[in-house]
Amino acid sequence: MQLRYVYSELGQGLRRNLSMHLAVVLTLFVSLTLVGLGVMFNQQASKAADHWGNQLQITVYLCRVNDSSAVCPNAVTDAQKTEISQVVQDNPEVDDFHFESSEEALGKARELYGDELFSGDNPAITAEDMPQTIWITLKDPEQYEGITSAVQGLDGVSKVRDMREQVAPILESINMLQWVALGTAGFLVFAALLLVANTIRLAAFARRKEIGIMRLVGASTLYIALPFLLEALVTALIGVALAGGALWGFMYFGISELSQNRLKFVPWIGWGEFRLAVASVAVLGPLLTLLPTLVLTRKYLKV
Amino acid sequence: MIRFEKVTKAYPGHPHPALDNISVDVEKGEFVFLVGSSGSGKSTFLRLVLREYRPTSGRVYVAGKEINRLASWKVPRLRRDIGTVFQDFRLLPNKTVTENVAFALQVIGKSRKEIQDLVPETLELVGLSGKGDRMPDELSGGEQQRVAVARAFVNRPMILIADEPTGNLDPTTSVGIMKLLDRINRTGTTVVMATHDSGIVDQMRKRVIELENGHVVRDQAQGVYGHQN
Repeated sequence: MQLRYVYSELGQGLRRNLSMHLAVVLTLFVSLTLVGLGVMFNQQASKAADHWGNQLQITVYLCRVNDSSAVCPNAVTDAQKTEISQVVQDNPEVDDFHFESSEEALGKARELYGDELFSGDNPAITAEDMPQTIWITLKDPEQYEGITSAVQGLDGVSKVRDMREQVAPILESINMLQWVALGTAGFLVFAALLLVANTIRLAAFARRKEIGIMRLVGASTLYIALPFLLEALVTALIGVALAGGALWGFMYFGISELSQNRLKFVPWIGWGEFRLAVASVAVLGPLLTLLPTLVLTRKYLKV
Repeated sequence: MIRFEKVTKAYPGHPHPALDNISVDVEKGEFVFLVGSSGSGKSTFLRLVLREYRPTSGRVYVAGKEINRLASWKVPRLRRDIGTVFQDFRLLPNKTVTENVAFALQVIGKSRKEIQDLVPETLELVGLSGKGDRMPDELSGGEQQRVAVARAFVNRPMILIADEPTGNLDPTTSVGIMKLLDRINRTGTTVVMATHDSGIVDQMRKRVIELENGHVVRDQAQGVYGHQN
């Protein structure tokens, strides 16, 4: 296939409909940024829940060596653990539970505070300093007293932590931010779809003579539609690049700054989650322009 | 080359079909005039050949293919075997004569080499050598129609469809276009021409198919425009 014509048409098309393409790019930019933020907030919420437990979780700390708690003469034994888990399992308020080892707890702390405290010949904190825990998920957030009191006095239990009152508002705000971002993005995505549709209609109208002749002389449908698809792809890629830049700015100036200097105790999302957000945006952007283009070119450029 | 077998074409919302159970056979290399008043079904006939429409019933064969059964994605291939010329020329105003003719080859993916060989050759055939760099609006109506014929013929199609090609031209210029179509016909290309121009039909003495209200009322080997008894 001879692509010279397609490329010259692509350039012409982008110039001819510059204002429309700009509108599409800007709408895509803002909506994709919001989608990316939504993804990042979502990740942030699950990260916080992993660390502190979610609205339904309470944590049971088991005795460790040299536990400061008065109820812990020794570290918890395997027999005690079996008994505790039996009690938890039998309790009607409990939906689900799992053990977390000292090593897992150490890994979490290490992720939050950096390697410095944990490495070297004589690290400040080792696995032995971290208690083993049981994470209990409740069936009903209001029904927690039975399980708390049942576990509280058992041998090998250091203390029961219920951080739900502190965690709940944080998770709720993050969730709200996520839905505000995704909701607004939804409207803008709809606007972007309409703009794409309009752009194609205008472009098809501007090129109706060429298209008519192309059909008559037997140009393939793909060949006729290709300039439109490439235009859609170019606008999508510009939108994705701008959104990626904005998300990078949010990470770099917002999250990284906060996590390094202030609010260090919060388990912030990192560049891994940023990459996930950018990847979702990079998939969504081209889909948003290519799908309506495919559908509408079939309609307007029918053979 | 073109065969209609009991073809009916009805448009939704119209009480009478545009073509009503017609059967026509056009052999390879024939020159056929399609005559009849406006609304007699000439355009529908041509559009069925181009597979812009499918027949409501009956079968249409074009260049050996049954168009009823032809998948949409194969339609472009079919159209590469058919050249088309219209009353209103349909040239691209922002392209030169050469570019207009080359466009037809570019968009079906011909190589630059082929385009460089075929375009000047075809412009010479239609009598426009030396005018390749002109823009369409610098040409007379007859010359513009020659460009359109060149564009239709540059790919050497098996069939040339002409829908009132002389409708916008004066009689002298029309004669020139008819000579050109005749020359193309002599290369073996089947020509089907819809026309109102009785002078031309009478002069050429070719096969005439007359349509009236969607019926074939006359099919004459060396006919003239009006009825002859």
